[in-house]
Amino acid sequence: MIPQKGMIKVSDAFERIVHWCLAISCIILMISGLGMMFHSFNFLAIPVGGLKNLKLVHNFSGLIFIPSLFFGILIWWKEAGVFDFPDDIEWVKCAGGYLWHVDNPPETGKYNPGQKAFFLAVAIFGIIMIISGIIMWFSLSFSAGTVRVMYFLHALGFLVIFPFFFIHLYLGTIGVPGSFPAVVTGYVSRSWCEKQCSKWLREIEEEGKLEVFGEEKTVVEHH
Amino acid sequence: MKGSEIVQLIDTTLCTACRGCQVACKQWNENPGLRTKNWGSYQNPPDLGWNTWTLVRFQEYVDSKGTLKWLFRKDGCMHCTDAACVKVCPSGALYHTEFGTVGLNSSLCIGCKECIAACPFDVPRYHQETDKVLKCDFCYNRLKGNELPACVKSCPTGALSIGRKDAMIEKAYRRVKQLGGDANVYGDKFVGGTHLIYVLGEKPEVYDKLPTRPAVPLTIIAWKDWLKPLSLIASGGVVVGAFLHYLTHGPKDTGGDGDQTDQGGGK
Repeated sequence: MIPQKGMIKVSDAFERIVHWCLAISCIILMISGLGMMFHSFNFLAIPVGGLKNLKLVHNFSGLIFIPSLFFGILIWWKEAGVFDFPDDIEWVKCAGGYLWHVDNPPETGKYNPGQKAFFLAVAIFGIIMIISGIIMWFSLSFSAGTVRVMYFLHALGFLVIFPFFFIHLYLGTIGVPGSFPAVVTGYVSRSWCEKQCSKWLREIEEEGKLEVFGEEKTVVEHH
Repeated sequence: MKGSEIVQLIDTTLCTACRGCQVACKQWNENPGLRTKNWGSYQNPPDLGWNTWTLVRFQEYVDSKGTLKWLFRKDGCMHCTDAACVKVCPSGALYHTEFGTVGLNSSLCIGCKECIAACPFDVPRYHQETDKVLKCDFCYNRLKGNELPACVKSCPTGALSIGRKDAMIEKAYRRVKQLGGDANVYGDKFVGGTHLIYVLGEKPEVYDKLPTRPAVPLTIIAWKDWLKPLSLIASGGVVVGAFLHYLTHGPKDTGGDGDQTDQGGGK
């Protein structure tokens, strides 16, 4: 996967590293969590040699998840954490053209409201997962009543995060072709940008901050 | 006794607090006695522990007539029919035996301590060194061999007895009728019926560490009975939904007018 001339930079290396730390820890957490939550998924513990090890895998990947989420929130909250009224409402009304045919879906900034909802779900419930997870880990230091609520919240977090995660995975790969390189090389095609984040593209072009592969940085001059 | 639901009846009014049950329990289960401190009570050790699955609680109580009473209660796992610990146990270490009691297969325990938070009676105890949770298993191995549990075997006063569930409940109510006053049966009416049933001389709220209305906590029900199936439905829903979306709606066209060719996802 090599970027081609004319492709547009949408993410820097730090962003991509944080993305993958978050993604991998999240996937390990979900698989190992599933293995402990349902008896029918206990077999997921076989590769690591039993549920006890699965518990350790779960707990320690949680420790990778914590800084990943912290940096993720730091990086993305400005672009993905704030809704843009009223444009985002228009987008939500037609589901961004993802569910039925829409001739011209409303333009969005770098992230569309669906992605913003995903970000907020992961940010908010991720923090809930971390807090409840740590309390569950050291449960004897807390009252039984508190710990019980944490189990509830931890299960609720999975219920919220998994569907968002899977839709993100789908739309980031085969659902929206051309998206995946954004988190690998950091470059996407111009036409992808025009379809996915035209407002952002325009703004960044006007600011002269557009980075195009194979071209000198900030080549755009104001007329 | 084999093959039927059994109940242990604890008639607290017959208990003399000899603690034979406590000692027999430790002996049969090979649990060590650890050094404790005198805390001003004959109740020793002061609480249930990983090495103490049966404990006689001593309590001084002055009733409404001003009479001082010394109350003894053998505490330990109640062996609930609707057991919160079994409900939450992720590994199947805690399970319902063919006798209706709650067994514990220690080798499966992963030390997650979920049962400790879930138990409405505050019974399971954690052992740091082995990273296991331990509790009374109603001497499952003895029951299998058609023997009485160690505690019942040792009881010299007849305060402890076991038998078929219906027979023991009947016996308990007969005894309560005979005792009169505040005497009552504790255990048959909640968490689906416990497999340890008390005949209490006083109202349940009088006794230390005895919940008056024990139940599987609502948060545990919400977690296990609502959120679990819901998360399966939701997860399955999005996976199937995404597949159907791909088949019917298809991927989004993000290609331009031929200016960029690399549109591959994951190439």
